[in-house]
Amino acid sequence: MAAAAADKSTKERLLSTLDDLEVLSRELIEMLALSRSQKLPPPGEDTLILELLIQRDKEFQELMQTALEQGRVHQEMQSLEKEVEKRDSDIQQLQKQLKEAEHILATAVYQAKEKLKSIDKARKGSISSKEIIKYAHRISASNAVCAPLNWVPGDPRRPYPTDLEMRSGMLGNMSNMSTNGVNGHLPGDALAAGRLPDVLTPQYPWQSTDVSMGILPPHHGNDFGLEPPGHNKENEDDVEAMSTDSSSSSSDSD
Amino acid sequence: MAAAVPVVEEAEDYSFLPIIHDVIKCMDKDSPDVHQELNKLKTKIQEAREQISSMPGIDMSPAVQESKLQTLREQVQTKNQLLQKYKSLCMFDIPKPS
Repeated sequence: MAAAAADKSTKERLLSTLDDLEVLSRELIEMLALSRSQKLPPPGEDTLILELLIQRDKEFQELMQTALEQGRVHQEMQSLEKEVEKRDSDIQQLQKQLKEAEHILATAVYQAKEKLKSIDKARKGSISSKEIIKYAHRISASNAVCAPLNWVPGDPRRPYPTDLEMRSGMLGNMSNMSTNGVNGHLPGDALAAGRLPDVLTPQYPWQSTDVSMGILPPHHGNDFGLEPPGHNKENEDDVEAMSTDSSSSSSDSD
Repeated sequence: MAAAVPVVEEAEDYSFLPIIHDVIKCMDKDSPDVHQELNKLKTKIQEAREQISSMPGIDMSPAVQESKLQTLREQVQTKNQLLQKYKSLCMFDIPKPS
C-alpha cells in the first residue's frame, strides 16, 4: 500500500486527500445536524470521523508542503533543462565547425598529395638541361622557328613548307597518282617524273646563296645582309656540330 | 538559483479544520450564518482543487522528480566536460600576417 502511494504522483495524492476531507467533513456535519434535530446524543462514530478528519487534514498540509517543495525543484529542473539545451547547441556548433575544419583539411591534404605525386612524376621523367639546350640548338639551326639573320621582306624562305614545296614532296606525288596524273597546270609526264618546271622550282636556302641574293630587291643588295658581331663561319660550324651532336644523342637516348 | 525565488504560499495555512470548527460552532448556536460558513468551506475546497491543478512539478512523485533532477545535473556536467574537451583540443597556431 505504501509502495503504491509512493508511486502515485503528488497531485493524485493531494486530490485524493482533498476528496476524503470533503466527504469526512460532510459526514461529520450531517451527523451533527441529524443528532441535533433528533435531540439525541451523538454516537461514538462521530469521534472516529473527527479523528480521521484531523489525520487527513494533517496529511493534506504535509502534501501541500511537499508540493511547494516540488515546485521549487521543478523550477530548478527547468533551468537545468535550459542549460542542457544551451550546451547542446554549443556542442552542435562546435561539431559543425570541426566538420568544416575536417573538410578543409581533407581537401588540403588531398591537393598536397596530388602535388607530391606530380612532383614525383616530374622527378622520374626529368630531362637534363644539356639535352634541352642541344634540342634548342638543333631546332634553331634549321630556321624552323624563326627567320635567318639575313632575312628581308621579299625573301621566299619560310620556316614552314610552301605550297610548291608540299606539291613537290612525296605527299604531293601520292595525291597526283591517285588522280591518274591529271592536273590542270602541269603535264602528266612531268608529274610522273616528280619534277617541276624551272619557273616553279622552289629556291631552298641550302641550295645556293647567290640565288637567294638575286631575289632581293634592287639597290638593297647587301644593305640587309648585316650579320651580328661574332657571327662568322666558325660559329656556324659550331651550331651545325651541336645540332648533329644533339640529333645523335637524342636518337641514342631513345 | 530557482530556490532564491520567495514562495508566498508557504505562509498560508492549508488546514480545513478552522472552517469546519466554525460550521459546528454555528450549528451549536443555531446561527443563521451556518449556510454562509458551509459555502465558505465549499469555496475553500474548490479553490484548493484549482490550486492543486495549477501547481507545477507535482505530476510525479518526489522520488521520481529527484531522480530526474539528478539525471539532469549529470547531463549538464557531462556536456560541460565535453565542451571543455572540445575547447582544449589541439588547435593549430595560425601565423598572423606581419
